[in-house]
Amino acid sequence: MLSRVVLSAAATAASSLKNAAFIGPGVIQATRIFHTGQPSLAPVPPLPEYGGKVRFGLIPEEFFQLLYPKTGVTGPYVLGTGLILYFLSKEIYVITSETVSGAALAVLVIYAVKKYGAVIGQFADKLSEEKIARLEEFKQSCIRYAEDGIDFEKEKQAVVQKRHYLFDVQRNNIAMAFEVAYRERLHTVYREVKNRLDYHISVQNMMRRKEQEHMINWLEKKVVQSISAQQEKETIAKCIEDLKLLAKKAQAQPVM
Amino acid sequence: VNEELSTFFYVPVGTMMLAIAFPAILLPTPNRLITNRWITIQQWLIQLIMKQLLSIHNTKGLSWSLMLITLTLFIGLTNLLGLLPYSFAPTTQLTVNLSMAIPLWTGTVVPGFRYKTKISLAHLLPQGTPMFLIPMIIIIETISLLIRPVTLAVRLTANITAGHSLIHLTGTATLTLSSIHSMTITVTFVTVILLTILELAVALIQAYVFALLISLYLHENA
Repeated sequence: MLSRVVLSAAATAASSLKNAAFIGPGVIQATRIFHTGQPSLAPVPPLPEYGGKVRFGLIPEEFFQLLYPKTGVTGPYVLGTGLILYFLSKEIYVITSETVSGAALAVLVIYAVKKYGAVIGQFADKLSEEKIARLEEFKQSCIRYAEDGIDFEKEKQAVVQKRHYLFDVQRNNIAMAFEVAYRERLHTVYREVKNRLDYHISVQNMMRRKEQEHMINWLEKKVVQSISAQQEKETIAKCIEDLKLLAKKAQAQPVM
Repeated sequence: VNEELSTFFYVPVGTMMLAIAFPAILLPTPNRLITNRWITIQQWLIQLIMKQLLSIHNTKGLSWSLMLITLTLFIGLTNLLGLLPYSFAPTTQLTVNLSMAIPLWTGTVVPGFRYKTKISLAHLLPQGTPMFLIPMIIIIETISLLIRPVTLAVRLTANITAGHSLIHLTGTATLTLSSIHSMTITVTFVTVILLTILELAVALIQAYVFALLISLYLHENA
């Protein structure tokens, strides 16, 4: 209970109160005890799970253990009862209105503690647990974020390893495009050259044909001019005789 | 019953020092994040109360938050500890309450008058009052403004002192009656109920700080 609080507070305060009041100011500064140990604030030692054991909510167990060797189990109870009765009977403790108000307060406090003590304790534990859960959630989300970042990075690194495929494909595509352009241009050149050559050839052919026709016409004209009238008559008579001979031969054979 | 005003200012100095210093032991400073039940509940209560108290302030007004928290905790704890038998509540002394009320009230009013004189003076006259009432109302508002620290102090003193007196008187009556007619133990139940009501002395802190807070608000925004 509070006695333990007071004792621990007194223990911590005693060392700092060593050179406290009732001494002159200069003396305090001269005799101040500085840190001689190695106090470390972190990590903070863990809190005990349960408070110290008490009987009647007031008297620590250690008191009962202290008296046990001498007086056994009933010792402290007899001491307590005796003390109370002694104080009352000798009027060392006088019953006043304060006693009544103290009794009323005791009734209230005991009632409240018995009824709501566990509930309030669980409420406090729940508050702590919620705080821890919030911090844990934050920590987990930070870890998850970092892990996601790692996975993402690894993924990207793996992709980078395979980048050469993409480059090869692109190179191939470009080479093919070059090849196609080259061939196209080659073909165009070929076609253009052929066009021009065809043109020359057709010009030559046309010239020759024209010359041939001209020559033939000239020859015919000359031949026709050279045929005299007599020759013409003789030729026609010969042709008629040939035709008669052919007609006779044709009559002899059947028509197929 | 004391006739002189000076008897209000007789103070038991030694007991007072102890009684004012003691509540600090009950409010430990945590040196870790997840604390024991006592500190956890204290932190939760303080958060609950302060959220209400400080919600209406702007950034400039929030510089008062530590003062308000300390005020609330001090008055609340000293009132509650004064309920224990054979203990002393410093808030029953008018000196203590006046020495709290006057500086705090002055700290809210004087800066308001200094930096925003027109607005502070304008608060003395509510809107829409008829012309012939204006002088009266200004006088009345000035008086009510100047009497605020006294009301703050006297309210707290009177409430706590009255509660303590009642408890003592009822206790004495119980004791006297128990030798006359011991079946009047029901009177102790009246004492119990009185105590429960007195534990609403904690609510008086709210009254105190709220009153302070309202004046703060008025003058911060003024």
